[in-house]
Amino acid sequence: MSDWPDVWLIVPVFNEAPVIGDVVRNARKTFDNVVCVDDGSRDNSADEIRFAGAHLVRHPVNLGQGAAIQTGVEYARAQPGGRYFVTFDADGQHQIDDVLAMLERVRSEDVDIVVGTRFHGDTSHIPWFKRLILKTVVLLSPRTRRLGLTDAHNGLRVFNRTVAEQLNITLNGMSHASEIVEMIDRRNWRVVEEPVTILYTDYSMAKGQSVINGVNIVFETMLKSRAGH
Amino acid sequence: MLIQYVLVASSVVLLVVFLRRRGTARTAAGTKLAFVLFVLFGIFAALRPNDVSVVAGWVGVGRGTDLLLYAMVVVFTFATLNIYLRFKEIELRYARLARTIALSNAEPPSDARAD
Repeated sequence: MSDWPDVWLIVPVFNEAPVIGDVVRNARKTFDNVVCVDDGSRDNSADEIRFAGAHLVRHPVNLGQGAAIQTGVEYARAQPGGRYFVTFDADGQHQIDDVLAMLERVRSEDVDIVVGTRFHGDTSHIPWFKRLILKTVVLLSPRTRRLGLTDAHNGLRVFNRTVAEQLNITLNGMSHASEIVEMIDRRNWRVVEEPVTILYTDYSMAKGQSVINGVNIVFETMLKSRAGH
Repeated sequence: MLIQYVLVASSVVLLVVFLRRRGTARTAAGTKLAFVLFVLFGIFAALRPNDVSVVAGWVGVGRGTDLLLYAMVVVFTFATLNIYLRFKEIELRYARLARTIALSNAEPPSDARAD
């Protein structure tokens, strides 16, 4: 047993076979409970996940990252003993040390959810175009600013059982980050940010979401409150 | 011109009504009624184009065909948005179905292989 038997790491996976094995093995040095949601990968991600010793939930078809996170949370919250939940990217750009710092905060402070941010201190490691886009997204969202968030599209989040029970992501694709911000606001979850380091490798840059997709996110978010429920 | 007020107002009203009350029996009935009216108007316009031109004159449009064109733009925009929203709704149901299947087939790690 590790020091964190009540923590669940939720990793959405789509065609990450080259790296997912190492990411899971590395995470399992610290955390026992890792659930990977294979979002209909066409490569052998599923075998890598099995071999690395994570729980495996497989979408029969590709649904999108938002849907994969929701599936992972639903799996994790149904397991006995889970108290803290972490959303963690599969491409190896998140650091376990950052997760530990965030867990410490959600355990000791009066908060429901801790969101990672890239915009504290030195931001020179973030590609400038990405920085511009992320800043613009925050600027365009009054809700994000009101909540005091500086990086709404950071995939690293740590939250407690209250949030896990109430979480209901309806936007399947990449717009779930905005949707989570909306949920934080509407359900009055107490939120804080924690500075985290994102490792921009060639691999993660190639896999990362394109800037063009920002347009989709804005559009989907605007229409979301009408469509989903 | 009056036509501008009419077109803008009708777009806004359609949007508000249909987006607010989507899914209810009342909206479904409303859609059908609107469709019936639309078809009746189409027939009327086809049979009596001159009358349409007269109506167009009342609201400040030159020709009946132009009035029809403007009306089409509103209807098309509305229909496109409606289809988009319906698609999103179906996508969500589809995701929930797939999720249920995924969760019922979940594989916990086999300890023999782990570490």
